[in-house]
Amino acid sequence: MDGLTAAEQREFESRMQKKQMKEFMGMFSHLVSHCFDACVDDFTTKSLIQRETGCVSRCVKKFMAGSERISQRFQEGQAQMMAQPPPGR
Amino acid sequence: MSMFGGFGRPQPSSAEKIAAAEAEMDLVTDMFNKLQQACMKKCIPKEYREGELNKGEGVCIDRCAAKFFDVQMKISELLQQEAQAKGAGGGGMGFGGM
Repeated sequence: MDGLTAAEQREFESRMQKKQMKEFMGMFSHLVSHCFDACVDDFTTKSLIQRETGCVSRCVKKFMAGSERISQRFQEGQAQMMAQPPPGR
Repeated sequence: MSMFGGFGRPQPSSAEKIAAAEAEMDLVTDMFNKLQQACMKKCIPKEYREGELNKGEGVCIDRCAAKFFDVQMKISELLQQEAQAKGAGGGGMGFGGM
């Protein structure tokens, strides 16, 4: 970030940390509802059955992989947009 | 983002500078989250037969991200045209009003 003094930088970073925590919690709860929704629809038993457990772990794994890949494309896209700003201005 | 700077405001206070940096981060985070939600929804089917991304899903994500950016650019362009057409006299009311 341009033009922040060391003290401002520190304040900024502490806020970012709080924000990251919040982001993480948001991601967690999103993942829980998504994978629950995708994997669990049999309520003839009380605890997760093998199929459901497997599905949940594949769901999380795939989410991570997809997230990683999207993050790469996102960074490239950002870099590209910085290099050539939108028309006008 | 540099496009919000440069309005020749006499030195912003610390709080303002931090708030601006924060707003910029929020913008980027928000954009990333939107992209992620959109492309995961479109590219990854809900049957989790395997944990790895398969080739089709990976390519779909790549293309989805590229198109997402394209749409973003396109809409930004259209809105600017709209704004220009509407208020040729009206002083620079850009969207994202900062």
